[in-house]
Amino acid sequence: MTLLAADARAFVAAARKELRIWRRYPLFILSLLFWPIVLPATWVLMGQAYSGGGNSRALAAFAERAGTTEVAGFVFVGYAMYMWLSNLLWGPGTALRTEQIRGSLEAVFLTPTSRLVALFAPPVSHLPFSIANFVVMGAVLWLAFGVVLPLGAILEAIVVIAVGIPSMYAIGSLFAASVLRFGEVGPIVQLVRGMFVLACGITFPIAMLPGWAQVGAALLPPTYIVDDIRSVLFRGAGLGGVAIDLALLVAFAALIAVVAVWVFRVLERSARRRGTLGSY
Amino acid sequence: MIAPAVDARGLVKVFERGRRTVWQRLRGEPDRRERFHAVDGIDLTVERGEIFGLLGPNGAGKTTTMKMLATLLIPTDGTIDVLGIDVLARPREVRARLGAMLSGERSLYWKLTGRENLEYFAALYHVPARETRARIDAALGSVKLLDRADDYVERYSTGMRQRLALARALLPDPPLIILDEPTVGLDPQAARDLRDRVRELRSQGRTVLLTTHYMDEADQLCDRVAIIDHGRIVALDTPAALKRTIRAEEVVHLEIGLVDGSAAPADEGAVLERLGRAATVARSERHNGTLAVTAHCSSARDFVPAAFDAARSAGATIRHVEVVPVTLEDVFISLTGRALRE
Repeated sequence: MTLLAADARAFVAAARKELRIWRRYPLFILSLLFWPIVLPATWVLMGQAYSGGGNSRALAAFAERAGTTEVAGFVFVGYAMYMWLSNLLWGPGTALRTEQIRGSLEAVFLTPTSRLVALFAPPVSHLPFSIANFVVMGAVLWLAFGVVLPLGAILEAIVVIAVGIPSMYAIGSLFAASVLRFGEVGPIVQLVRGMFVLACGITFPIAMLPGWAQVGAALLPPTYIVDDIRSVLFRGAGLGGVAIDLALLVAFAALIAVVAVWVFRVLERSARRRGTLGSY
Repeated sequence: MIAPAVDARGLVKVFERGRRTVWQRLRGEPDRRERFHAVDGIDLTVERGEIFGLLGPNGAGKTTTMKMLATLLIPTDGTIDVLGIDVLARPREVRARLGAMLSGERSLYWKLTGRENLEYFAALYHVPARETRARIDAALGSVKLLDRADDYVERYSTGMRQRLALARALLPDPPLIILDEPTVGLDPQAARDLRDRVRELRSQGRTVLLTTHYMDEADQLCDRVAIIDHGRIVALDTPAALKRTIRAEEVVHLEIGLVDGSAAPADEGAVLERLGRAATVARSERHNGTLAVTAHCSSARDFVPAAFDAARSAGATIRHVEVVPVTLEDVFISLTGRALRE
């Protein structure tokens, strides 16, 4: 067995271990059903109230900025992205931090497996939960708001999500790396998540932001993912219409992953020098 | 020639005490943190096939040394070869050949079963998939946990968790196993059980390097012991040879009352000076009106009556006498003037 194959097996085992532990807390499933419904539904109802319950002039004004009159779909896609982003910003870092507090991180680092397994495997274990969120949100969109999404557009959205996964996971891993050096990174994650919500057009069109903020938004991968999903689902853009964005996402993923690995190596070495690997 | 299991030269680890805030850094203020030598120039050779113990009080530098050997800490200075491999240059190769139990029961996943824990770590140790089951069964069998393999770890006793942590260390079939305070927190039966497992590891031809602050454990278990204090090795030999350095056959613990009713308190210095004529006073500690003395002597039968005379002539009263054989604790006291517990 080559080293790479052995690390790949360790990677699968690490993700499987996380899932096994989640499975031992069955009430967690409720959160998969509750939040994906309540959070976006609140915003949709608020939007409908502000627009006079579907007033045509209000919807036209919204479409001018958002590219669609589908308010519920717009918000639900934004919130799907928000929950995915939250999972990724909190998940991997929390997994590493939990290992640190529990005392198991040193045991993991005593093995010959690449340290990157500990960095990248936990985010993968969160993928099923993100998929579950997407499915629940799609079902609610259909059943509660009567939005029927064409199958072809759904498949295109899945392609967009698949292309966006590496860049999103690279962002999550970047935060996880900082746990090694700083321990508790919750406040920074809160701050960054808030910035993403504001900049990436989660509940409103990017066009509402001032010009300089729109430039900043263009540097963030979630902006492209959420906008491209809306484009293929509600604007009929097709994959050809978002191809450049998808290429950009691949480039973002490569860049952020390289930065995450570099940051991880620097911080891991710093932690080994300072003896903070196993600190509380 | 086969390289020793561990060969460390001039090992130093310096930590910084205190904090340097971001504000201080931004203002370019000088770094005023105190530099603390956790390990201060250790030379250590552990031969293959032996059980080697690092004995010392808490904070002596034992765990820091272990963590440097196990690649978890980067030494400030010095070199370490483990099984002939340079730890600093090729840490991953060292980890592949090393079984380690450093943080005991805390390092396990309590919401997984014992077997699930080992399945996970077998993959991390790169155990081939087709060998995993047999390797796990062998490891569980060697720590007598096969019958509880499918229970959640949260339902294990502390001793069982320690044994599971030991089983995990056996997964890579390592020639060298390092154990940091393996019996701490265990009841006497569980500790005895774990020591038996450690002896079995030696009989399988493995090398075991362990730390402990239990003198009995070091005495009973180890082929050689290094006594460590303030980051330095102060003595290194077999337990028997270390005990011979005391030059005493017996150790006498005395509890001497210096204050007796309305009489003036006895002079502590005078009591110790008179006792010193009949034996070596290794350690004395005064607490309120009582003086606790540890004396090394060739014959307690001769020393105890002399001690009573000495105390009486100095105006003090002996309240308690205990005669014990020489232990490694006495060696530690004679070398450092302090007890292991202090």
